This record gives sequence, structure tokens and C-alpha cells, in this order.
Amino acid sequence: MIRAEGLTKVFRRPRTFPGPLGALRTLVTRQYVEKTAVDGVSFTIDEGEVIGYLGLNGAGKSTTIKMLTGILTPTSGTVRVGGLVPWRDRSANARNVGVVFGQRSQLWWDLPLIESLRLVGSLYDVPAARFETSLKKLRDLLGLDDFLDTPVRQLSLGQRMRGDLAAAVLYEPPLLYLDEPTVGLDVLAKDAVREFIVEVNRTGRTTVILTTHDLADVEALCKRIILIDRGKVLFDGAIDALVDQPRRLVVLLEPEPEEVRGVRRDAEGRYVFDIRGDLPGMIAAISAEHTIRDLSIEEPDLESVIKGIYSR
Amino acid sequence: MMRIGFRLALAYRSNIVMTCVTLVAQVFLLRMIWTSVYGARPAAAGLTLDALLAYLTLANLQSFATHTVVSRTIHERIRSGTVFFDLARPPGYLRQMAAFQVGNTFGGLLLLAPVVPVVLLVGSITAPVNGPGYVVTLVLGYVIAVQLALLISLIGFWTMEIGAISLLYRLVSQFFAGTMVPLAFFPGFLGVLAGALPFQYLGYVPAAIYVGHITDVAGPIMVELAWIAGLWGLLALTWSRAHRRVVIQGG
Repeated sequence: MIRAEGLTKVFRRPRTFPGPLGALRTLVTRQYVEKTAVDGVSFTIDEGEVIGYLGLNGAGKSTTIKMLTGILTPTSGTVRVGGLVPWRDRSANARNVGVVFGQRSQLWWDLPLIESLRLVGSLYDVPAARFETSLKKLRDLLGLDDFLDTPVRQLSLGQRMRGDLAAAVLYEPPLLYLDEPTVGLDVLAKDAVREFIVEVNRTGRTTVILTTHDLADVEALCKRIILIDRGKVLFDGAIDALVDQPRRLVVLLEPEPEEVRGVRRDAEGRYVFDIRGDLPGMIAAISAEHTIRDLSIEEPDLESVIKGIYSR
Repeated sequence: MMRIGFRLALAYRSNIVMTCVTLVAQVFLLRMIWTSVYGARPAAAGLTLDALLAYLTLANLQSFATHTVVSRTIHERIRSGTVFFDLARPPGYLRQMAAFQVGNTFGGLLLLAPVVPVVLLVGSITAPVNGPGYVVTLVLGYVIAVQLALLISLIGFWTMEIGAISLLYRLVSQFFAGTMVPLAFFPGFLGVLAGALPFQYLGYVPAAIYVGHITDVAGPIMVELAWIAGLWGLLALTWSRAHRRVVIQGG
């Protein structure tokens, strides 16, 4: 579905100078500062996959998505989306992709939601009959009926996000880019968004690229993640492989021994044992030598694994 | 997109009401001033007082009816980054924005329609000397107005800020359209300049044809078509350059 090779985007901005005459100097000197937002990114995504495209703020996630939609032209490298080069076949590519930016809305603020959906229908040449069936389906799936005729500015964030999701899939694109679709949502609204993504992926075989800072989204939806940092791919693979680590036994001992051989201590001074095999036996062995004041078992989770990768 | 523009014009109804009040007041004031300026004189620069008042009424009505909002919309969408969505659509950007403006104008006309009799009453109107010529030159003039508005908005892709430029544009275009003072009264150099600029087709030319001050219609129509073709090319060129350097703020 998507094949990117050595995708690179360098932004060039006029250099700004400090001081009261700085602005003038910026105007006359014509010096530029170059910033490499995306640096040689390569990946392949198959049809029907749900990919978590992760990275810290400013890592180059949105820039990649803008190149995949054909809005930005890469400085170098190539990408094909469904066989098309997005920036060359921009219009044809646009029909194949739906986009949701959680931080921005494609809905017209001062008009009822339905107007924005109609606009999408007409801009993507959706025939009237197909528009109606598609809208009917989305009304049920996203519960749009309550606020279809409400001006978008009066919608809650959760409702607005559902409206944006509807607008992105109304013309049934085979590819969906979701950039922080759960940002700022409450737990129930987050669940609704996740369920919707699962549904769209299951019934329509839609390929989904999901960018988010909420790793619970990723754990709920993605089998595979691509992790980027400062424009470069840091990890690309199955989450299972990434989180394939032993569970840990974390204990607080009293009195605190100076050091227990082969065991590390976390920031709160607790002792962390990797659990291999017999857990009751381990606990018995520890309590034979020390007094256990508190004890917990930690599952390896994506968040700690990813924190580990970034701090490397 | 036309529908969105139309609906948005209706959504901002209270805005239009204020606009209508402004329009009525402006026409009224212009009538007072020009009637006093003429005094007992029967005509000046070939315009009788009746023709002049009809001209001013029409020119102001036109100016309000064909007022373009697309620059402001484009500007807001560039600043907020929602221009991303416009750029991600299958149809071309300029086509979408032009459709938006045309829809918005229709919406505005619908709201303006009930006020027209009031304006005509406060101002003054005569029977058209050349009705069809008026309509054709006005419609072509409107096309030019939309093209110019789009051209101005594209500056926003370079500077991210077009507030001052739009203000200047509005001032210059209204003045050289002859909304306050007919171009026939412009002295020497100013008259030549006004004649060379395209703004006259947004106000002066159609209104002067209506009152019979301009009798040759074919000439202005040819010049208007030439402007439309030229601006078309300029727009396409500017857009291709703007598109190449698209940078979306934030994200």
C-alpha cells in the first residue's frame, strides 16, 4: 500500500537575528537556517495494517504525513501510495486518503456539521445515493444524529472528533491518516474513537496510520509500530517483539540492605527482580533473607519500553 | 464549496444587517454632499445631477454586493493551518476558493435584496440607458474582482500576514472603482492612472454605462476580457509558485 524509501524533508527558513534591528537584518541578509524534519525514512506498509507511527513532539510525524498526502514535496527520497506518487498525482491520491488531525478540524466552524459532510461529499464526487448510505452507516456507527444539525463551534470535543472522523471516511478511502485522534478526549470518547477505527479497519480493510501520544491507543489498535526520533526511524516492527520481556517483581524491603546481588533498584529504592519461572518460590526465597514490606508485580508495558528506547 | 460560501453568508446575518445600514447611510451622505456641490449647475463633466446620483447609488450598491470575503477566509485558514485540508482535496485550491466566493456573493445578494428598494429611495435611480450592457460589464467586472481578491490572498503564502495589504487593497480598489467620486471627475494624471487600472470595472464602468455616460460597450467588454485572461495567467503562475513553497504553520 505504501512504500517509502529514503524520504527526507529539509525546511529552509530565513535566519532571524536578535535585537531591535534584527527583523531588518533578517529581511536584507537572505541567510537561511536549514532544519531536517524527516531524515531518510524508509518503510513499507501493507494493505489492511494498522500502524502506530510514533515519535516525540517535533520528531517529524506530521511532516511525513503531509508528504504522504502530497501537500509537501520531499527534498529527496521517494514514496508510493497505492502505486501513486502523492505530490505528482495529488488529486488522484487525495481520493485515496482520509485525514484527521486531532488538533485541527476540517469542519466549518460556524455551520451545522451536516454542511461540512455535504461539502466533503461534493469535493470527492460521491454520488448522492452512495453519500446517503455512507452517511447512514456513519450516523449509526458514530452516533451523529444528536448533533448533525448543530453548528460545529457548539460541539463538544468528542462530538467534533466524531464529526471529523465521519468527514475523513465518508468517501471510503482505502487509507486513513489519523494524527492524534484522541487528543484531549475523555475516556469514553477515546473508546468510541478506538472502536470506530477497529470497525473501519475490520469491515473496509482500510489501512490506518495512527499518530498518537497515547500509547493505550497503540496497544488497543496496532500490531506494529514505527518509532521515529529526530526524523529517523528508530524502530520498526511488531509491538509483541518490543514488549517481549519478563514480568517483574518489585519489592520494598525492610531494613533496606545495601545491595542485593544481581538485582537493580528503581528510583523509589525498590528492588526489581525479573520473574523467570517459579514466582512463589522467588518470593519465599526473598522473604527468607529479608522482610518484605510491600510487593507488586509489573507487566512489561509499551510506555516503559518506549521510554527506554528514547533514553538510549 | 459554493454552498458553504452561501451558507456562511447567511450565518453571519447580523453582519449583513450592519453592512446594509452602512450602505444606506453612505448613499444618503453622498447624495447630500453631491447635491450641495452641484448647487444650481445643470451638469459637470457631462453628468447631470440626476445621472450622477443614480450613478453613485448604483456604484455603491455594486461595491457592497460584490465585496469579496475570500481573502479574509484564506488568510484565516493559512494562519490556523486548516488550509491543509483545502490542499488535501481533489479539486484545485483556487477553484475551491473561487467557488466559495461566488457562493458567498449569492448569499450576500439574497440578504441585500430586501434593502435595495430602501437604497434606491434614499439615493436616486433612473431607467437604464443600456441595461444589457450594464449587466454584462458588471458580471465581467465581478470576475475581475474575484481574481484580484484571490491574487491578494496568495500573498499570504509568503508573508503569513496580509491584514495591512488587504486594507490597502480595499482602499485603493474602492477609490479607483469610483465609488465615492466618478472617474470622469478625476484630474489629469489620476484619471489616466484610474483608466489604466482594472478597478474601474468593479464600479465606474458598469454604472456609467447604466446612466448612459459611457455609450461604447464593446470596447470596455474587450478590455475586461483581456484583463480576465491576463489575471488568469498571473493567478496560475502565482499559485504554482505559492504551492511550491507551501509551509503549514505548526504541526
